[in-house]
Parts: sequence; C-alpha cells; structure tokens
Amino acid sequence: MIKFLTQFGRYFMLLKKVFSKPEKLVIYYKQTLRELVYLGLNSVGIIAIISFFMGAVITLQTAYNTENPIYPKYLIGLGCRDSMILEFSSTIAALILAGKVGSNIASEIGTMRVTEQIDALEIMGVNSASYLILPKMIATLLFNPFLTIIAIIVGIFGGWIAGTFSGVMTSENFIYGIQYAFIPYYIVYSLIKTVFFAFIITSVSAFQGYFVEGGSLEVGRASTKAVVYSSVLILLFNVILTQLLLS
Amino acid sequence: MIKIVNLNKSFNGKAVLENISVTFESGKTNLIIGRSGSGKTVLLKSIVGLHEIESGEIWYEDKLFNKLDFAGKKLIRSEMGMLFQGSALFDSLTVEQNVRFPLDMFTDKTTEEKIDRVNFCLKRVDILNANELFPSELSGGMKKRVAIARAIALNPKYLFCDEPNSGLDPITAILIDALIKELTEEYSMTTIINTHDMNSVMEIGENILFISQGIKCWEGNKNEILNSDCETLNDFVFANSLAKKLRAEKK
Repeated sequence: MIKFLTQFGRYFMLLKKVFSKPEKLVIYYKQTLRELVYLGLNSVGIIAIISFFMGAVITLQTAYNTENPIYPKYLIGLGCRDSMILEFSSTIAALILAGKVGSNIASEIGTMRVTEQIDALEIMGVNSASYLILPKMIATLLFNPFLTIIAIIVGIFGGWIAGTFSGVMTSENFIYGIQYAFIPYYIVYSLIKTVFFAFIITSVSAFQGYFVEGGSLEVGRASTKAVVYSSVLILLFNVILTQLLLS
Repeated sequence: MIKIVNLNKSFNGKAVLENISVTFESGKTNLIIGRSGSGKTVLLKSIVGLHEIESGEIWYEDKLFNKLDFAGKKLIRSEMGMLFQGSALFDSLTVEQNVRFPLDMFTDKTTEEKIDRVNFCLKRVDILNANELFPSELSGGMKKRVAIARAIALNPKYLFCDEPNSGLDPITAILIDALIKELTEEYSMTTIINTHDMNSVMEIGENILFISQGIKCWEGNKNEILNSDCETLNDFVFANSLAKKLRAEKK
C-alpha cells in the first residue's frame, strides 16, 4: 500500500513538473510538431486497418446473429455504427494505441534515462520532464480525436463493404441503418473518452519510462508496465466516463 | 572554484559518501580517482545536483548550491558543462543539432551565430565534416569529442567529466585528456574529472582526490601520488604487476 501511494505521489509530482512553465516556447512548438508526426500521423495506418476489419466483423456477426425475419436488415448497419462510435473508436482504439504509442513513449524516455540523456538535460538547466513529456501529451491530446473520427469512418466503411459484398444485406439497408436514430451526442461522448484515454496513455507511459533505473532489461519491463497499466486504467475510466456521460 | 564541506550521501540508509571535504580550483584539472564503486560518480552527481545530499555544503564561488531554489540552481547550471561516461548525446539529433541544443535553449542568438558557434566548438575538438551525422554513426572517441563540444558551447565556468576516456584506446584517451586540459586552461574553467585511469592521472592530474569506500583517503597532485604513504592509494596506483615490480625494485 505504501509503495502504491509513493508511486501515486511520484506520478503527480511528475505531472507538476510537466506542466511547469516551458523554457522556450518555440522549441516546445517544434517538438510538438515532431510528436504529432511520430505519435499521431504514424498511427493512422494501424488504426485504419484495424477499424476496417473490426467494422467488417461487427457487421457480419450482427448479420449472422439476427437472421430472424422479424429484425429489419437496416439494424445491422445501426449496430455497426453504434459499436464503432460508442466503443471501438475510443476504447478499443485507445487499447491499441496504449500498445503502440505507450510502449514507444516508455522505451524512448526510459532509454534516455539509462543512457544519461535526461541527466544531460538537467545539467543544462532544462526541465527534462516538461521538455520530453509535454509535447507528447499535447500531440496525443490534439491528434487522438482525429484518430477516433478516422476509426469511426473507416470502421463503418468496412462494415458496408463486408455487408454488401458478402450479400448479407443491401447497400441501401446499410446506409439507411447508419442514419437511423442517430444521436450526435454519441460522437461527443466518444471524443471526450478519447481525450481522457490519450492523457492516460501518455502520462502513465512517460511516468514508467522517466523513473527507470538500470539498463535495457528494465527499459523493456517499463515498456510492458506502461502498456498494462495504461490498458487497465483505460478500461476503468471507460466504465466511470460511460456512467458519467450517458447516465 | 568549487568547495565541498562535510558532504554525506547515502542510498536506502547505506552510506555511500562520508564527510567529504575538498576544494576544486579554477583553471586546474581536478581529478577524483578511486576504484569502481568507491563513490566517484555519486560524488560528481552530488556536486552537480543530480543527487540530493543528506548533509554538507557545496559552494560554487560564494553561492551555497545545495540550498538554492530551482531558479538559483538553474542559473548556476547555465554555467556548467558535463561530459557523461556514455557521452549522453541525444540520439534523435545530429551532431550539429546536439551541439546547438544549449544555444537554442538558452540564447537569443541568430541562426547564423549559432551555426558559427557550433562549427567553432566542433573545430576546437577536431570534429570536421560530421555535422549531419547521428550519434549512432560516430565512433566512441568522436562521441566524446562531440559531447565536449556540446559541453563548451555556452562557454561554461565549470566542466564535469565522468570517466571521459572509458572505453577508448590509450592514444585516443590521452588525446581526450589533453583536450580537456587545454580547454580548462584556455577558458580558465573549474574542471572536475572522475577517472580510474592511471594514464590520465599521470598526464593531467593537477589536483587529485582519492576516495575509497566513500571516504576521502588522500589529496595531492601527480608528482606526489607515487610517493604517498596511503596504503589504499598505493594498492590502487600500483595495481598491475609491472607497476608492482618497478615499485619493489625502487624500494
């Protein structure tokens, strides 16, 4: 328990350092642009591929489980749309990003720690926590909502392709379904969750990397911990946010 | 000048440094020597503020460094340059960007002025035509030189070197030592070097502090070190069989 509280305290102390006044805004601006590419733009591919296939599978599974003629076919499109918006685009995508971006952040910062690059920054008088973590945080907070939108669009497109090309439903039915009883607030709900999850992924992973002690083995362990802890926290906050935002 | 008074440092209740007092003078190459695990790196990192000390005083001229707030420490740190054991160059930046980093961060110079300064520092450490290379493309000796160039980019008053020639061949090691000594005299810096390389000690040891198991055992210069009465120091200095044999013959 004491260890947990100590870690908890260290995490918030680190956040305090991260959000202190930057040394030179122009340097942070350049770093943020760099991170937007590394952490954001470079994740578009994986998110698009997984979303496409998830949308396709959701559509096919819904279709094969609702073969009863009582159910109108357009409900398959509706099911695909709501699954993608409510859960996949934010939560499942966040879990995927925890693996890709989280491990990247933890291993990058962890390696900088064990090779004394962070010490070198401190010696120069640079706030290393802010310099290394803040641009990553801003980049993911800004870009992940776009990834969510991309996941929704590509996922629904995947569903349409799978549904129509497999012959389980017509294109008209699917398009009618994705427009039927649409609640725009669901998009807002999804984007709010995404922002929270982006913060969790970046801060937890950076925390794991920043306090690494030892060598490459410990960096690997920190990377694994970053993914595991981020994923658990994402799932926990998914429940909390769903209750708060949809109740 | 850097003055250390009764410095104590421990990790998890285990004393690593005990009552270390020493003065490091400006314009001289001050060496901290000792066996691996004797506390040299902890002492150096305590002096630069990377480790919090339990008790004692660390004076930079007339400023009590360990009692300063973040802003005060930052001011003194802007006058520090440090060469780390593994060079600690930023992997994602080129040689030029590495040396330019402190200039970008702490000066308002124009791009041309910064590039001029970078080229001057790189030329000073004999690194030519390597501006666009990444650290992974450099040899160990080149990395050390680039790290020195980065350390002197802001004209520091204090230069700290943690085992500057570890992992280098003897000739490159001597060249690095000579470069550090030259820069120290040229810019009248207070230079502190951690080493366990006896070649360095005999080449550039103007003021030497020997520590063993976290305790200061001996202080002197390279001319005095061979005639010391300190047994622990003699075991360290005459560690190899040739030195032992020469010493026995001398006796």
